[in-house]
Amino acid sequence: MLDLSTERGFLCGQILGDLGADVIKIEPIGGSPARATGPFVNDAPGPENAIGWLAFNRNKRGITLNLEHPEGRELLRRMAARADFLIESENPGTMATRALDYPALREASPALVYVSITPFGQDGPRVSYVDSDLILMAAGGVLILSGDEDRAPIRMSVPQAYLHASADAAGAALIAYYERLNSGEGQQIDVAAQESIGLAGQSTALAALVNSDETRRMAGGAKMGPIRVPLVWPCKDGLVSCVFLFGAAIGVFSRRLVDHMFEQGACSRAMKDTDWIGYGARLLSGEESMANYERNKEVIAAFLMTRTKAELFEIARANNLLIAPIATIEDVRQNPQFIAREYWQTVAHPGGASLTYPGPFARFSGKPITYRRRAPMVGEHNREVLGAELGLSSEEIANLTRKGII
Amino acid sequence: MAAKLPLADVKVLDFFWVLAGPGITRSLADYGATVVRVEATTRTDPVRTVGPFKDNQVTQEGSALWWNNNAGKYGITLDMGKPAARAVVHDLVRWADVVTDSFSPKAMKAWDLDYDALRKIKPDIIMISSCLMGQTGPLARFAGFGNLAAALCGFYNLVGWPDRTPSGPFSAYTDYIAPRFGLTALMAALIHRKLTGEGQYIDQAQAESALHFLTVPLVDNAVNGREYNPVANYDATYAPHGVYPAAGDDRWVAIACRTEDQWRAICATMEQSALAEDPRYRTFAGRQNDRAALDLAISAWTRHLEPQAIERKLQAVGVAAYTVQNTFDLAADPQLAHRGHFIEVPHSTVGKTCVENSRFKLSRTPAQVTRSAPALGEYNQYVLGQLLGYSEDQVSQLAVEEIFG
Repeated sequence: MLDLSTERGFLCGQILGDLGADVIKIEPIGGSPARATGPFVNDAPGPENAIGWLAFNRNKRGITLNLEHPEGRELLRRMAARADFLIESENPGTMATRALDYPALREASPALVYVSITPFGQDGPRVSYVDSDLILMAAGGVLILSGDEDRAPIRMSVPQAYLHASADAAGAALIAYYERLNSGEGQQIDVAAQESIGLAGQSTALAALVNSDETRRMAGGAKMGPIRVPLVWPCKDGLVSCVFLFGAAIGVFSRRLVDHMFEQGACSRAMKDTDWIGYGARLLSGEESMANYERNKEVIAAFLMTRTKAELFEIARANNLLIAPIATIEDVRQNPQFIAREYWQTVAHPGGASLTYPGPFARFSGKPITYRRRAPMVGEHNREVLGAELGLSSEEIANLTRKGII
Repeated sequence: MAAKLPLADVKVLDFFWVLAGPGITRSLADYGATVVRVEATTRTDPVRTVGPFKDNQVTQEGSALWWNNNAGKYGITLDMGKPAARAVVHDLVRWADVVTDSFSPKAMKAWDLDYDALRKIKPDIIMISSCLMGQTGPLARFAGFGNLAAALCGFYNLVGWPDRTPSGPFSAYTDYIAPRFGLTALMAALIHRKLTGEGQYIDQAQAESALHFLTVPLVDNAVNGREYNPVANYDATYAPHGVYPAAGDDRWVAIACRTEDQWRAICATMEQSALAEDPRYRTFAGRQNDRAALDLAISAWTRHLEPQAIERKLQAVGVAAYTVQNTFDLAADPQLAHRGHFIEVPHSTVGKTCVENSRFKLSRTPAQVTRSAPALGEYNQYVLGQLLGYSEDQVSQLAVEEIFG
């Protein structure tokens, strides 16, 4: 698998590398610009210290190759002829100017699965729009949904759009590969981050087309029609997420919550005896008043304020309730579940640093995912890949290096 | 003639429900898999009760979220309490290549449908279980929705204003990450099976998949001790960077400026030559330092204009800008229209429905979305008769035994 992607596509190759693919990361001379982007290990800038690079190039080998040079392109074509997959994330048209676009490579490599990850797709009226994570959040219909009602919409402060796109691309690549096992033919995969991030809008995008009310953002919750559903609740020492909803599947959780509160003397008999499964339907029909719903939420809020995050989580686990603490990043790392499942994977890096990464994204009973390679250093596998595998002699490699092609 | 769909030979017995799991099988159906989605009439999928609803009418079949997550699947209802229903499930297991479930770990075991049991029925079966926290560990039985996994994974604390309680991401955020990893895991298992004949079991903890979207903060926190707290729309590499008010009710435009050239282009578009020439704003650091003042200057300009007009003006000069799109904007977005993002598909009882297309395109074997989600129990006869080959008498007898609930 040849991974020519920029930060837009790193995750795609890493997911497939985790699954065992032999991924060769191809960087420009001097290394990927991502190596200059912080944060850095020990806050010390340097090409082998960029966390965003290290985090998404595990299980890949790395070479440098100058694709602005005709000889560099020719080398890439030779490699592509031996590859099953190629991943790229250039703006549409850029690969064509290098004669490395899918139509150009298809002839020599008819079985190649060519994966393109872009902001808005390979063609269309906005294909040349300038993008960023925030822009894609806006374009995808997700940004409008998050934040406080009385202020501007806000995004998640850790960029997300291209991670959605890259993860989509990994699944798409394997669908194409499965198809290839039957047909023997490759194809191009076209992933637009605008569409990928849109999944996080939970189909609210469809409202206009189905003649439904627009979903408006609500601080710490969601509006479902006229019902304001809080999902962030203050407790004694912080915040928890708690679901108080209705219907056959979810109402049982609300019933158990209220039962527990009644046992603890935290609500009235009338509240305990309410039918929470049918409550939502009665609210929408007007049989129950919104004022009654608001009062019930106040009673729950008052109960939550008497307990700590840890106590509430314990109560939730013991009684099967929908409550969980709102974790900081440090809390996530200390969560006993991930520790018990030996999720965190520690990888040694040159220079002595050991970094701890999120572990396998799924557990396979066959061959488990292993983190067999740290991210490559700049040009680390030039000789191995171009020499031993592509068959270039030492002289040829020395020449290419001198000419600035590798 | 169109090429055969990639997954035309894949048969899936689907016990997924709610959001994260069905998102996986929606993709499989898009690319040709036969997906038999099991529901219980006594405990229908909660997603049926979540909007947007067609014409704002809350009905069992009217949820566009339900349609969107289940288009192209064959829905059947089974009362799993009935032994005869479980016998049908065993036949479906023999028929299937893949069995899915997203219940809490104990449910499939209680029905004697855990992987060990399935493997006895069909040795090369692939099974994927997708639940919040995974099949093992102290929180294995912690059941819930994606908002709870998002809270436990740290996503809530990353969306908010520094002076307020975090707003959190919209709804059940991990439910929109996990399906991608689940699909990829399942495809890897299908490829492995095609090459070796071996099935396997996949334990997907939705939280463990979702944390890959927070790898940078997790590594940074572990090695540098840095904590991540809400910063609204602040960005370390763009300035100005934010969401600015436009003319109208809840209308906004997102703008992201990285370079000095882009900054000058914004100033020229705003006709603010003094700002453009201000030496303090030549450098990124200068613009970042004074971002509050620059945000005010930009807002003073944007608030009188339509968001699309601002977007067009700024994109025309190479500045990243986009209307903060709501549902009406998305329906009219020319790029999404060009890509055929929204598609009309028929539903047996609702009539015309609208769903979103596959979020990725395969050039030679594109997704085919021809039907909406199934009505409750719509394919009971079809699945037993056509897919399992039961006779009409057998199906009628099972109906008398009320296996369909």
